[in-house]
Amino acid sequence: MERRSFLKGFGVAAACAVALPHVASAADEKKVVGPNEMNYETAVAAITGGKAVTPSAKVKMEAPEIAENGAVVPVKVTVTSPMTQKEYVKAIHVLASKNGNVRCANIYLTPANGEAFFGTRIKLGGTQDVVAIAEMSDGTFLSTKQNVKVTIGGCG
Amino acid sequence: MRRLTVCAALLSAALCGVLNAEEKMSMSDADKAMYAELLENNPAEMDVAEGEQLFGDLIGAEGYAKMLGVNEKDLAAYLAGFPRYVEPAKKVVTLSQTIQMAAATAKKPVPKLESKEMVKMTAYVKSLANGEKTSIDVKANKHMEQMLKLGQQVFEERRGGRGLSCNSCHSADIVGQRLRMQPLPDLGAKETAAAGTWPAYRMTQSQMVTLDKRFQQCMNNALLAKIPLGSREMVALEVFITNKTKGNEIQIPGLKR
Amino acid sequence: MKTLIKIKPKTYAAGDIVKVDFMAMHPMETGMRKNKDTGALIPAHYIDEVKFMFNDQLITKMVIWESLSVNPLMSINFKVPSAGTLKVIAKDNKGQSVETTTAINPKG
Repeated sequence: MERRSFLKGFGVAAACAVALPHVASAADEKKVVGPNEMNYETAVAAITGGKAVTPSAKVKMEAPEIAENGAVVPVKVTVTSPMTQKEYVKAIHVLASKNGNVRCANIYLTPANGEAFFGTRIKLGGTQDVVAIAEMSDGTFLSTKQNVKVTIGGCG
Repeated sequence: MRRLTVCAALLSAALCGVLNAEEKMSMSDADKAMYAELLENNPAEMDVAEGEQLFGDLIGAEGYAKMLGVNEKDLAAYLAGFPRYVEPAKKVVTLSQTIQMAAATAKKPVPKLESKEMVKMTAYVKSLANGEKTSIDVKANKHMEQMLKLGQQVFEERRGGRGLSCNSCHSADIVGQRLRMQPLPDLGAKETAAAGTWPAYRMTQSQMVTLDKRFQQCMNNALLAKIPLGSREMVALEVFITNKTKGNEIQIPGLKR
Repeated sequence: MKTLIKIKPKTYAAGDIVKVDFMAMHPMETGMRKNKDTGALIPAHYIDEVKFMFNDQLITKMVIWESLSVNPLMSINFKVPSAGTLKVIAKDNKGQSVETTTAINPKG
């Protein structure tokens, strides 16, 4: 019995998961030729559609304060959420505020993730803020940011 | 007199300022921990897996052990002792050179020391000794003794337009000073683990590099003529550096800045 | 494109949340670098979409850009529902695509 209801629950989650990414937002658009240049304001507007973004302690980012090498900067984002059908994190967006193309990754999550987490390594063209914007299932946008100082370290 | 004191005070204040600024420009322990965690997902693992395939096609562990004249079950411990004198070559060689020997034995095209395939195979072969302690024996025979001596000479020899040697940046008394914000590592320290963690993925270059190739990159930046890979001097330098961290655990592939 | 999936921890039970690490060997060219010899711009070449599927149901879709490091890492969490197959499909902007699968075997 328990198993059955569990499977049913997963079925719903999966159906929901398939439905989600069809809503391709303007933030996902890519050029076929040339660099995907986009500034911070345009990128945020494309993600939120003009809605307010609230800085929140629910969004946590782990990134080094100082990166000895801008080519590999570890970034981890966690968003506090029960990740149920009713209440979950729809997407985590990672932005490097001063890169030529500020967009790094748009991660479309589903309740099947269990926890809203995304970890990666990014390139930073210089010292700047790394920003994470979480799109919640209730349509609100929460964010956090961290400044990463990029130094050119050492020899070779 | 008073003016002098004021001057001195100002100067020391300014110096303190510089030192503090410098302090903030180096990574905190939390930052270092984040970078250490990157080891869990080292992109070079995919290179090592490819190295296994390439090495398997070339000779495989069994044929390789036979060529070196050791039992396959003793291979890991034997590999932990490189660079070492090997009888078939009649000289002290690196692991990469034994792979060249293996290719020659199998009558296959001999891969160049500079090639990507060689870096991958070297990393795979050394990874067979993962968990072992580096056990280079510089007193094993007169060949090793000579190589250690030559290695030290190469390390200390001032060369190039600026008269720099390896020792200029890596002598024990300047360890911890900064070169372009990067603290100079103690090549003999356990955490540097030079011998046990090369070949390593270099994040600045997004590729895996062997220890001797790293030496060349260092020479390049110090404006020194690069000592060729596989030359007696280069092997000797590897002997000298490996001996500094003898006893360190082998963990291949490493991950470096 | 060589790829690697890791599930952490190695042993887990149904209902546990595991970390899924996906790595790919990819140049992630930005389109802004110049060829040192010719001075010509090297065309952008990067992974632009990654899908994580469990038993062919989509768990997470990623839209990514050239700002990810060379040989990129992408990690997510995943609540293991049952035994099955985890599949990761990565596609780059030149249309090259690769599928990597790993078995999900919960214990207990």
